Amino acid sequence: MRCARGWYWRLGCVLLVTVFISGCPKKTPPPSEVGGPGGGLGPGERGETNLPPPGDTTREHIEHGPGEEGGPLQDIHFAYDSFELSSEARETLRTNSDWLRNNSQAKIEIEGHCDDRGTAEYNLALGAKRAKAARDYLASLGISPERLSTISYGEELPSCREETESCWEQNRRAHFQLLTR
Amino acid sequence: MSKYGGGERKVGWRILLGLVALLGVPSLAGAQIKLEVPEPGGAGIPIAISPLKNLAGEDQRAGEIFADVIARDLDISGYFKVIDRGAYIEGPDPLAPEQINFPNWSLLGALALVKGGFSLDGDTLTVEVRLFDVAQRKQLGGKRYRGERKDLRRMAHRFADQIMLFITGELGPFNSQIAFVSTRAGGRAKEIYVTDLTGTEVTQITKDRTLSLGPSWNPAANVLTYFSYKQGGPYPYLRDLLSGRDSRLYPVVGYRSQWSPDGTTIAVSLEQQGNSDLFLLSPEGRLIQRLTENPDIDISPTWSPDGREIAFCSSRSGNPQIYVMNVNSGRSRRLTFRGDYNTSPAWSPKGDLIAYTTRSGGFRIMTISPEGGDPSEVTAGEDPSWAPDGRYLVFSQRRRLYVASKDGRSVKQLTGGGGDDTSPAWSSRLE
Repeated sequence: MRCARGWYWRLGCVLLVTVFISGCPKKTPPPSEVGGPGGGLGPGERGETNLPPPGDTTREHIEHGPGEEGGPLQDIHFAYDSFELSSEARETLRTNSDWLRNNSQAKIEIEGHCDDRGTAEYNLALGAKRAKAARDYLASLGISPERLSTISYGEELPSCREETESCWEQNRRAHFQLLTR
Repeated sequence: MSKYGGGERKVGWRILLGLVALLGVPSLAGAQIKLEVPEPGGAGIPIAISPLKNLAGEDQRAGEIFADVIARDLDISGYFKVIDRGAYIEGPDPLAPEQINFPNWSLLGALALVKGGFSLDGDTLTVEVRLFDVAQRKQLGGKRYRGERKDLRRMAHRFADQIMLFITGELGPFNSQIAFVSTRAGGRAKEIYVTDLTGTEVTQITKDRTLSLGPSWNPAANVLTYFSYKQGGPYPYLRDLLSGRDSRLYPVVGYRSQWSPDGTTIAVSLEQQGNSDLFLLSPEGRLIQRLTENPDIDISPTWSPDGREIAFCSSRSGNPQIYVMNVNSGRSRRLTFRGDYNTSPAWSPKGDLIAYTTRSGGFRIMTISPEGGDPSEVTAGEDPSWAPDGRYLVFSQRRRLYVASKDGRSVKQLTGGGGDDTSPAWSSRLE
């Protein structure tokens, strides 16, 4: 039995355990089964949820894989060596801001990621720019900056490991990690 | 002759004259040593490295390890072709020049020969080792080392450096260490490791099971700075390798630092609000000076050997390029103009070159004069770090570490297998 990926899913799993006392589902459930917008676990249902101590999101990623798309907040993607927000990324951020407005207790950590073409340090700096660009845009849409922290992972936690254009694009992303809801 | 007039090369020149005198013998014409100052990456000077003889016991392992380490170092140097031990006719005995059967070593094509002995008295290890010119049947140099049993490999690296001095006129870089980042502990975690120059004596430094990145050495090669996510973002940490003491250097995240050559100052790129700028910190974690303040990426500081200038990478022109800053005036000048992606500069301890990574098709290591001009390509790879002698670079290529001569003619793999190895940092020479 393995609890699914990420803090968010882990939280869902823990809550399912408390309800059903039957353990976690064996397969990674689609978002609607364990929560998310309109799902079973609305904000405030477990208001005492602890914020993970600093460092835990990193360890969570290392143990269970980098956060993947499929949570309530969608990743956005970037062009090579760029932190400019495309119109598609802005559209996704507007959708994400809607969810954040509807889940006003939620705090997120915005992760900046890069593909692995390039040097580690430059990609860390570029990842920070990407996270900051996403944060600034969400803030411009009225989301309180206090709910939005940023972290750069550079090329250190790729979600895809193939040397293909589609994989590189998948890795050039900002991911929105739910810290608390 | 004037072509080779550099003073540091004269010793090598003289010894080579002696070594190549052997080529007058027709039966040895297969040895392709030309009458010129040796360069790494050529055919290599054929050298035999005899296992050291145990002078006070039967266990020969230490003598074999000593020979293995020297063989590995000299292979990496690119100056030598180490003759396989299986072909040796003569054993560890005899040691006296008048008793060594030099014609036997000539038969193997050896121009140079290492022989010696060791003794262990309790934990005290004594090594006596000599380098011979096979053709002239005479000693080129010899050293006695005394230390503890654990110093065996260190002694071998030191003698490899001496062999480099005898043959090339310049002390070798092998009595040193390389810090790097690796996933070899398993999973996605990255930890800091330190290896000797054989690439096989690897010590895991961090065990935090998180991301630990960007190691760099203090000049004494006993403290590492690195960046770890163990308390959230990538904060800078100091690790004293002697005491094991680990402490956070500064409460702002960043990405790699470099110690000034005098060890008093750490240049570091720190990130605030998504933007990275360069700062100077004291080793005690005090902010000394802010070096850059602009909305562009400023990272990867590397000191000139005199400590007056810092080369770094900046995106201020719209894409990453290498710049050089005067530390006192704060004025910067752009150094690289070719290509649209030039990162990770490393200033040679000799001062004559700055190595960096460029993107052109794949990623390649380049060198350029600190004054500017045309860059030269070294080889394919990323993240170069200079050897303490300024003749070699360690770098990563496809998640393995390699050592190349600065002209790229000799490229040797240092690590491989067991994980992704990246971000190497070559220490200064050890004591």
